[in-house]
Amino acid sequence: MSDLALRLPDRRRLVGLAVPFVAVVGSMLVGLLLIAASGKSVPDAIEAFLDGAFGTSFAIGASINRAVALALVGLGFILAFRANLTNVGGEGQIAVGGIAATALGLWSPVADLPLGLAVLVPLLGGTLAGAFWGGIAGVMKVRFGTNEVISTLLLGFIALLMVYWCVQSTALLRQPQTSSATLPESLPVPGPVKLPGLTGDPESPLHIGLVICLVLALATAVVLQRSTFGLRLRAIGLNELAARRAGMPGGILLVVALALAGAFGGLAGAIMLQGEQYYLKTGFSSGYGFDGLVVGLLSRGSTLGVLAGALFFGFLRSGGISMEIMAGVPAALTLVIQGLIVIAVAGSVILVERLQGGR
Amino acid sequence: MEETLAIFIASTLRLGMPLMLAASGELVSERAGVLNLSLEGMMLTAAFFGALGSWATGNPYLGVACAIAASVVVSAAQAWLSVNLRANQLVVGIGFNILALGATTLLYRIIFGGLSREEIPGLPKLAVKGLSDLPFAGPAFFQQSVIVYAGLALIVLIWVVLNHTSFGLAVRAVGDEPRSADKAGIPVALTRWKAVLITGFMAGVAGAFISIADIHTFTENMTNGAGYLALAAVIFGGWNIGRTVAACLLFGAATALQFQLPAMGINVPTAFLLMLPYLLALLAVAGIVGRLEPPTSLTLPFQRGK
Amino acid sequence: MDGSTGSPLLSLQGLGKRFGTLQALEGIDLEVAAGSVLCLLGENGAGKSTLCNLIFGVYEPSAGTMTFDGAPWSPRSPAEALDRGIAMVHQHFSLVPRMTVVENLMLGQVSGMLKRHEFGARIRDIAESFGFTLDPDAVVGELSVGERQRAEIVKCLMRDPKLLVLDEPTAVLPPGEIGALLDICRRVADSGRAVIMVTHKLAEIARVADRVAVLRTGRKVADESMKGADMGALVHAMVGRELRPLDVALAEADDGAPPAAPAAEPRGFALVCDGLTVHDRHGAVRLDNFTLEIRPGEIVGLAGVEGNGQSELGMVLAGLQRPTEGRFYIGNAELTHAGAAAVTAAGGGIVPEDRHAVACVTALSVAENMYLNKLPQFTRWGLLQRRALNAAAAVQMKTFDVRAANPEVAFSGLSGGNQQKAVLARELTLDPLVALVAAQPTRGLDVSAVEAVYRQIRAAARRGVGVLLISSELDELIAVADRIAVLYRGRLVGERPAQPAERPAIGALMSGQGA
Repeated sequence: MSDLALRLPDRRRLVGLAVPFVAVVGSMLVGLLLIAASGKSVPDAIEAFLDGAFGTSFAIGASINRAVALALVGLGFILAFRANLTNVGGEGQIAVGGIAATALGLWSPVADLPLGLAVLVPLLGGTLAGAFWGGIAGVMKVRFGTNEVISTLLLGFIALLMVYWCVQSTALLRQPQTSSATLPESLPVPGPVKLPGLTGDPESPLHIGLVICLVLALATAVVLQRSTFGLRLRAIGLNELAARRAGMPGGILLVVALALAGAFGGLAGAIMLQGEQYYLKTGFSSGYGFDGLVVGLLSRGSTLGVLAGALFFGFLRSGGISMEIMAGVPAALTLVIQGLIVIAVAGSVILVERLQGGR
Repeated sequence: MEETLAIFIASTLRLGMPLMLAASGELVSERAGVLNLSLEGMMLTAAFFGALGSWATGNPYLGVACAIAASVVVSAAQAWLSVNLRANQLVVGIGFNILALGATTLLYRIIFGGLSREEIPGLPKLAVKGLSDLPFAGPAFFQQSVIVYAGLALIVLIWVVLNHTSFGLAVRAVGDEPRSADKAGIPVALTRWKAVLITGFMAGVAGAFISIADIHTFTENMTNGAGYLALAAVIFGGWNIGRTVAACLLFGAATALQFQLPAMGINVPTAFLLMLPYLLALLAVAGIVGRLEPPTSLTLPFQRGK
Repeated sequence: MDGSTGSPLLSLQGLGKRFGTLQALEGIDLEVAAGSVLCLLGENGAGKSTLCNLIFGVYEPSAGTMTFDGAPWSPRSPAEALDRGIAMVHQHFSLVPRMTVVENLMLGQVSGMLKRHEFGARIRDIAESFGFTLDPDAVVGELSVGERQRAEIVKCLMRDPKLLVLDEPTAVLPPGEIGALLDICRRVADSGRAVIMVTHKLAEIARVADRVAVLRTGRKVADESMKGADMGALVHAMVGRELRPLDVALAEADDGAPPAAPAAEPRGFALVCDGLTVHDRHGAVRLDNFTLEIRPGEIVGLAGVEGNGQSELGMVLAGLQRPTEGRFYIGNAELTHAGAAAVTAAGGGIVPEDRHAVACVTALSVAENMYLNKLPQFTRWGLLQRRALNAAAAVQMKTFDVRAANPEVAFSGLSGGNQQKAVLARELTLDPLVALVAAQPTRGLDVSAVEAVYRQIRAAARRGVGVLLISSELDELIAVADRIAVLYRGRLVGERPAQPAERPAIGALMSGQGA
């Protein structure tokens, strides 16, 4: 029953994997066609892409770091989805996580903490902030019956603007304005707060976020597959009345599920801040929340699926940036490919269902 | 003071216009049960193709036609995926937003290359004689481009259709109780299709307004979240067209204030003003600011017998 | 008032309908005359709705023929039926609550601009001509059930049908509004149309029916003119089962129960209901001042035709719904507002009427369902000990004869009988178990499953559990219960000892007479 053990492929699983795979490959082919149509050299573009994605240790490290953020959001998503809750607010949860991490990181007592606490405290703060943000949607659902898609979406936008607010005001997180050209950003967090690197290689930006992510991925798999809590989430998502009859605290479970999703998002935000960006600025979440949501949705509830999807999109982003710099193909192309993949996979669900045995 | 007020009114209308157009169209979709997160993508696509059309043909009116056509194509794809393939409407919406951002940016770079911010032929402003000289609001209300007048007429038309025609009746039934509508002989899928196409059309007008009438150019990610604001306006407006239009103006005013208030010496954080629309929508949806009920079958695909 | 003037408007000959292996209807011969009202009686699953759907064109018959208005009648869709003059008022209304009456009735009937005034005037006229009022501009969601029903009726009457079919129209109506509905039916018939009214409530039909036909498990078991009809016999025709095999089974279900756990000191009552009253969303009274006391070890049957308040009582006792008034206790604990978890903790076992909605999560496995309320027992360090869970489930399945390939299969894969046995197993192994409320526990079960269920219930009673057995199967109640109370229109209308000789009296109470 272990999630990590290989399962014998049966027709249903094969179809479930094959159709999205075809969608992905198809979208990438369309991408190549677009490159050709635009007059740029396709081999050059591919070379630049691969170089940017895998070429140097820097590239690989950066790609994996991106994947980590996406994976965390995706994991949070599938946890909440187990209880039939759809969290669309990943972007905002990353934002509040970043705010909390920055605030704690810049607060001098924290930077002086020993034993790695200088790193942990902001991470924890970001996680809790995200949990709180997700929890609000949970409470709204339980108390007012508010559809969580709408509430998490709106909370997301509010949080993004909170970042904007924080970096606009020196009373909040904005760096001291020494001149009119001082950018609306926070100060960078001090060294002790930054995430330590994973490899000794000074070229590679890979940080311990990867370890955190893998540990949490394992934990998520265990929780979903083998824990009683996971079973309870499933029960409450499938039949709330029966679950309550069986003694489960329905409302609390729902709030916890959304808070968990938020916590993962907040952690992703903190990791993004402490791991690579180091200072808070508007839009630092740059779409990772939505991308993570997509990873979560496309994974169909599987932890491995989340990791695979996150890696794929992470490398896609890195490759795209390099493609622009080195082959002159606008990085926007990766967005096109990504969008096509999302639409193709979403649209193919009905095909998968029909092939898997008809409804 | 008079001038500040006039500027404020003009800004409110200017910023609120694309919201009103897009939101009215989206309202029809949502009343029919389809949530188009891709509204942002539709508007951006329209803004781009409108600018492209206007620039390529030198005729802003043709540009508007291009904008609408492009947006309708996107909405048709959304309709096919949401209604026929019964795909998850949220995923599809997000996918289209990503695709639109990527495609418009890509095409913009390819076609316009280094000519960023190239001015495109824009729609001229038409003055309504006499009325445009009124103090305060005169220029703001009565000296606008054709697209504004046409757009407002379209919004009124939507109101009429939704409340006084059999199609509007079908839309409302399909969004609340598709099963009952089906039993009454209403073609659920077709009705939803039409509703989504209407959204595409209006989003096209909104996008055209932004690039052709308002700013006379295209920049990357030009819509910058206007689509989401329009969605929030529909929510805050309680899925009622009058209140939605009012919500759009309110949101436009909030955005306009971010420039006005500093000029008047009042220091409210810009971010708060920008946040206000979403905050209001959130409170509305929690039932704190009035009891709001979305259409019962919103985002739920329909299948006879299930 | 026999209505048999000339040839019948609708005539069914040997009509049958099969769904896969289920024979829903067989050999139905029936005639309905214009200007008359036929009441079609029968329990749930008797085939009444299927018959209506055949007439209305929702399904096509597997056997037999129909004749309508002098010509062979084989409709292929409801639209065809509507065109030819047959209209049906369904039990579950297909109205859109947020729209007004006139908007609902215009839906799909008009095109172009809406002319609310004109249409509204038509609605008013039709309503008046049949003796009632209907406000076209009222929002449907704010109307009472009776008013909504009238809107549905007008919707049908606007098509000027020759035959009007009403499916369980009185089922949703509070007592005060039933009279009005029956008047409307009478007037519709008097206007020269034919009316078929499907129901399982008996007292009212006397006022309106010209003929009565009874269906049971797909066959017609009675068909007589209303004049001189024997109500008690009708009840028996509706609810009786094949007696002999069941009696034998029930008699045999008396031993072979698992060894009893040491009985707790009997303290007072096992279950006390004190003035329970439930109003539904529209203010109609579904349960009215229900008071009952059950001693430990007693099996009390609550008889009544479905829809007389049993569902509401079940939901309240399960802790899933708050009563409008009144209280109930399990053992010494008052649980009126305590919620489902508290009911379980206090020793209240519930086998609900609709297990899919309330008792089980069909996508989960058998083992998970059987231990859904005992998960902490199999949890260590937060992880579910599946092997122990499945092993325990396997033992339970053997004890309670739940047949499945293994404990890990999906609950939905079990037959209805086995699902019921599984739910029963879970509830009966509650510890402590003070009271058991079982609602329609044998519905849809074959004889051997029925036997198994009652064997377990008897064993539980012997252990000191107080049992409330809610059922419309009078014969089963007589065989198993100690005493029988009767629920009619939400009220407790009487109580008799559970003896075969009391059957007529109980039947009378069930049909609303002798209250």
